[in-house]
Amino acid sequence: MTAYIVRRLFATLPVMAVVAVFVFFLVRFAPGDPAAIIAGEDATADAIAAVRAKLGLDRPMLEQFVIWTLHLLQGDLGVSIFSDLPVSRLIEQRLEPTVALTFSTLFVAVALAIPIGVIAAWKARKLVDRLAMAFAVLGFAMPVFVLAYVLIWLFSVKWGVLPVQGYSPISQGLWPFLEKLILPSVALGVTYMALIARITRASMLEVLAQDYIRTANSKGLATDRVLLLHALKNAAVPIVTVIGIGIALLISGVVITETVFNIPGLGRLTVDAVLKRDYPIVQGLILVFAAGKVLVNLAIDISYAFLDPRIRY
Amino acid sequence: MSVDAVPVLQVRDLRTYFNTLDGVVRAVDGVTFDVGRGETLGIVGESGCGKSVTALSILRLIPPETGRIVGGSIRFDGRELVGLDEAEMKSLRGHRISMIFQEPMTSLNPVLTVGTQIAENVVRHLGVSWRQGLDRAREMLELVRIADAARRLDEYPHQLSGGMRQRVMIAIALSCEPRVLIADEPTTALDVTIQAQILDLMLELKEKLGTAIVLITHDLGVIAETAERVVVMYAGRKVEEASVSSLFAQPMHPYTRGLMRAIPRLDIEADTAGRRPRLQEIPGLVPILTRPIPGCAFADRCGFATDRCRAERPPSVEVRPGHEVACWETARVAEAA
Ligand SMILES: Nc1ncnc2c1ncn2[C@@H]1O[C@H](COP(=O)(O)OP(=O)(O)OP(=O)(O)O)[C@@H](O)[C@H]1O
Ligand code: SF4
Ligand SMILES: [Mg+2]
Repeated sequence: MTAYIVRRLFATLPVMAVVAVFVFFLVRFAPGDPAAIIAGEDATADAIAAVRAKLGLDRPMLEQFVIWTLHLLQGDLGVSIFSDLPVSRLIEQRLEPTVALTFSTLFVAVALAIPIGVIAAWKARKLVDRLAMAFAVLGFAMPVFVLAYVLIWLFSVKWGVLPVQGYSPISQGLWPFLEKLILPSVALGVTYMALIARITRASMLEVLAQDYIRTANSKGLATDRVLLLHALKNAAVPIVTVIGIGIALLISGVVITETVFNIPGLGRLTVDAVLKRDYPIVQGLILVFAAGKVLVNLAIDISYAFLDPRIRY
Repeated sequence: MSVDAVPVLQVRDLRTYFNTLDGVVRAVDGVTFDVGRGETLGIVGESGCGKSVTALSILRLIPPETGRIVGGSIRFDGRELVGLDEAEMKSLRGHRISMIFQEPMTSLNPVLTVGTQIAENVVRHLGVSWRQGLDRAREMLELVRIADAARRLDEYPHQLSGGMRQRVMIAIALSCEPRVLIADEPTTALDVTIQAQILDLMLELKEKLGTAIVLITHDLGVIAETAERVVVMYAGRKVEEASVSSLFAQPMHPYTRGLMRAIPRLDIEADTAGRRPRLQEIPGLVPILTRPIPGCAFADRCGFATDRCRAERPPSVEVRPGHEVACWETARVAEAA
């Protein structure tokens, strides 16, 4: 198994290389001359040329690419055009809130979705099932920002039990950290929960009709063992796949949630950098997001091998 | 009557119906039989005659969304199972009454090890530790003659052949030494040579453990070799019941006679393509079970049928000691032999 994981990890390198090449050229061919933007609206042609030289944009494309790649391999993502700070440091500072929000959202979504989906499948076409699925449809249809404002209004403004917004790093205490994550995670998690719950129900329904479930029942096993071990383990592969797809959706969702709840994460950094055309930051962020998705994908693939012994590795 | 003489299983006028889009399917429509302690009872009949539904009814495993036991009685050890609460039913399943299914390839859970699937039954019913459950699992694998049992415990079903999987099913079913084992076409999906091995194994273990077997099959040959008594089913009804010797010596129901003529005869030469001459099948079609049948279900296919046959359902009557037939024209049929 370890050899398999290492092998798969190496297999992600070419993907990352392609992403890196893409990122480099994307920015070079994007409309708008960064040098002109930095130099300001009334800058002379000479001033713009000076900026261009400073950024190295006057060198041949191939040379620029080699230099950029060499830096990248050393973990150097360049320097922000506006703040002059290293991009890697800017991203590092914003990483914790985003990672924390992603995982807490994932936790909320999965912790709600799996029980809802399992119970809905077990009680298929009965009242519980209909209520659960109505809840799921509602959750899926609800825009994140609407739910976010409703939650803020209820829990922060009306009842005053949770903070309105902001972020507190984990280093400053666990409760302040969690307290500020609850509302954003629920707001973001609900859409996602709906998606996973529906897949869980569908996948469980299919599995519950299989012969081996009848065998499990013929042994007089307790219902929870039949549902949670015999059925859920078989139903897991599609569920895990959707969780993986969901993480990709989650990243775009994070941008909105971070804005609404005023969380200083990568989402906010992305919005600011794109608006200002701070190319080095945008490049760095694309690389980081891509690496994140590749790793999630890898984790999902590896989990298949744990869930289903028929999958060969 | 001594305790031993009381049948371990008594099925009386069992009726199990399904609600389908086409209407109510009367899958089992008034079936009665007893299973004595340690006895092997065969149930035989064509595909769709309600054999599996009878078996699932006894274990109360009819899918509740569509099907229901609408009438009759099933007594196990004198205890009524129809209407028994689910918790008590669960403690009987896999423990006192267990079942082997028709499809060895799909009846085991693909993502759980063989050891887990045997041990969980033992742990569930005998209240032993997981360790002891696994020890018992290994013992059971040895009992069903799976070589290298200790290693097999950690394997998954896809690593086993069809015959081996059915052995594992037998190991699970017998792991708590049940009083009744219901084997629903346990060998139909297997190669002929494997079939014989599995049947021999079941009979041998039955002797060892004193388990009664309800052996369901559509193969009269299997019945002849393994069962003591036999129930012949047609369209959800019992049409004949007899000891195996009496049934083969003198089948009384026109349907049973038709079935016997349809047995492949190994003494008939195969042609050059390896095919044997076409079996003599019973002409006509099995009746549609969604339509109520007021008379004899076999009337449309029966050469002896009269107006009464079509209008009134024939009761099951004893024509010889231990030999029952549900037919109005028994006398005429017997003469025609
Ligand atoms: N879940 C179900 N829903 C609706 N009808 C069913 C269901 N299960 C069985 N039936 C119907 O009940 C009848 C009897 O089926 P059953 O499976 O008992 O036949 P069988 O004698 O076991 O046949 P085979 O030899 O093919 O296994 C069939 O007409 C079948 O279509
Ligand atoms: S009752 Fe009538 S139709 Fe039915 S088997 Fe006997 S003779 Fe044939
Ligand atoms: Mg069947």
